[in-house]
Amino acid sequence: MASSANSNPVPKLYRSVIEDVINEVRELFLDEGVDEQVLMELKTLWENKLMQSKAVEGFHTEEQAALQAAAHQQAQQATQQAQAQQVLLPPQQQVTSWQSTRPTVTSAPQQQVIVQDPKILQHMSATGMSAAATAATLALPTGVSPYHQLITSQGQILQFVRAANGAQYIIQPQQQMVLQQQVLPQMQPGGVQAPVIQQVRPITQVLAPLQGGHPQQTGVIIQPQQIVLTGNKVQQNAQVMQMPGQPGQVQQIQQQVQQVQQAQGGAAPGPPQQQAKQQPPMMLQVDGAGDTSSEDEDEEEEEYDEDEDEDKDKDGGEDGQVEEEPLNSEDDVSDEEDQELFDTENVVVCQYDKIHRSKNKWKFHLKDGIMNLNGRDYVFSKAIGDAEW
Amino acid sequence: MAYQLYRNTTLGNSLQESLDELIQTQQITPQLALQVLLQFDKAINTALANRVCNRVNFKGSLNTYRFCDNVWTFVLNDVEFREVTDLVKVDKVKIVACDGKNTGNAAE
Repeated sequence: MASSANSNPVPKLYRSVIEDVINEVRELFLDEGVDEQVLMELKTLWENKLMQSKAVEGFHTEEQAALQAAAHQQAQQATQQAQAQQVLLPPQQQVTSWQSTRPTVTSAPQQQVIVQDPKILQHMSATGMSAAATAATLALPTGVSPYHQLITSQGQILQFVRAANGAQYIIQPQQQMVLQQQVLPQMQPGGVQAPVIQQVRPITQVLAPLQGGHPQQTGVIIQPQQIVLTGNKVQQNAQVMQMPGQPGQVQQIQQQVQQVQQAQGGAAPGPPQQQAKQQPPMMLQVDGAGDTSSEDEDEEEEEYDEDEDEDKDKDGGEDGQVEEEPLNSEDDVSDEEDQELFDTENVVVCQYDKIHRSKNKWKFHLKDGIMNLNGRDYVFSKAIGDAEW
Repeated sequence: MAYQLYRNTTLGNSLQESLDELIQTQQITPQLALQVLLQFDKAINTALANRVCNRVNFKGSLNTYRFCDNVWTFVLNDVEFREVTDLVKVDKVKIVACDGKNTGNAAE
């Protein structure tokens, strides 16, 4: 610890607070007859949430990361169920950087669900493998920097690849289709429920990515055989498909999705493939309802409407019209969370030494504060400010 | 009693959420959770007082101010927070400040 925290006291501070609290309450727990196990669970939950929030940089020390990785290893080998957030690779990988890297570092994945799968995962490691190298490994088109993997509950690893232009593609192993889906960067805070990987098949092909044009758009071609399932937002994307000029196919796709998710691989591969063939010239856009030519879609609009409504909903559409897990495409999730327009209300919690006012000129003397600005956490022991009212 | 002020921070909220989860699964009692939070209050107050030592300056325009129950709440606009190392700009920030003179009560 410490090497990376020199310039940033926050992770150290947080860590020490966590340790203090946990140690102090250990007794309380024992008094109540609560198992130590629960205490550890509390600690883990706490730390995980902190990591998820990304408010702190370099939060985890390498040791902690290694410990977690080891724990995850075991868990994964057993069930391959990723935990609610990201699963870390074995210690050989440097884990510290993975969470805290800023978005500017494209080659270092920020949000990954890494499952232990030597074939692919090691490529996907957080070691900062160069985008080019990884792309080459994965036979990705150039300019695509890999990285997002979601483990589906049905045991497929969907690899989300984030292209340079922000469009995202999903590479489905053994699929000849590319799922272009919107990977919600904030998978974790949203409570991504870790889909389970059961298999990883070698990637065979990456179709020419659909050029959505918008970073957040998702065009979905779904192969019924391997469709992402579970409560992931990934899936929600599958529902939202707008293909300009070809609404019919979209519906088919949607229907396919439903079928697939129920049938799991039994659904007719025909239609989707047809769609696939027809689709390349098409641009799938999913950035909200009604931006595609509505005229053609009017007839089919009815079936489509449900999805559009969900789009408009933009609100964790769980009550699915569809039985599948909601594919929450809706949100305009921006690619960089560090924009100033971040959701967070910037808050400073502190104590005041002295507040002074002269006419409309205010002076603040504050101390011992924690700030959350633009999504990131800062601390100070003293703060002095001026403002005019 | 230490200020409960810091419960609404990343650290505090993540703790509260974690505790809530454990309560949901009935692994701990709400009473115990409360004890943990109280302990957290103490720990964070101590840590901030003793383990942090850096200065920040800020400048902006004051939109609103409120002083009630010895708690100041400000909303500032177009603020620049300056530390030696870096500069952070925000459009809007809310500052909540409890009385720093000595042991305050457990007020939020």
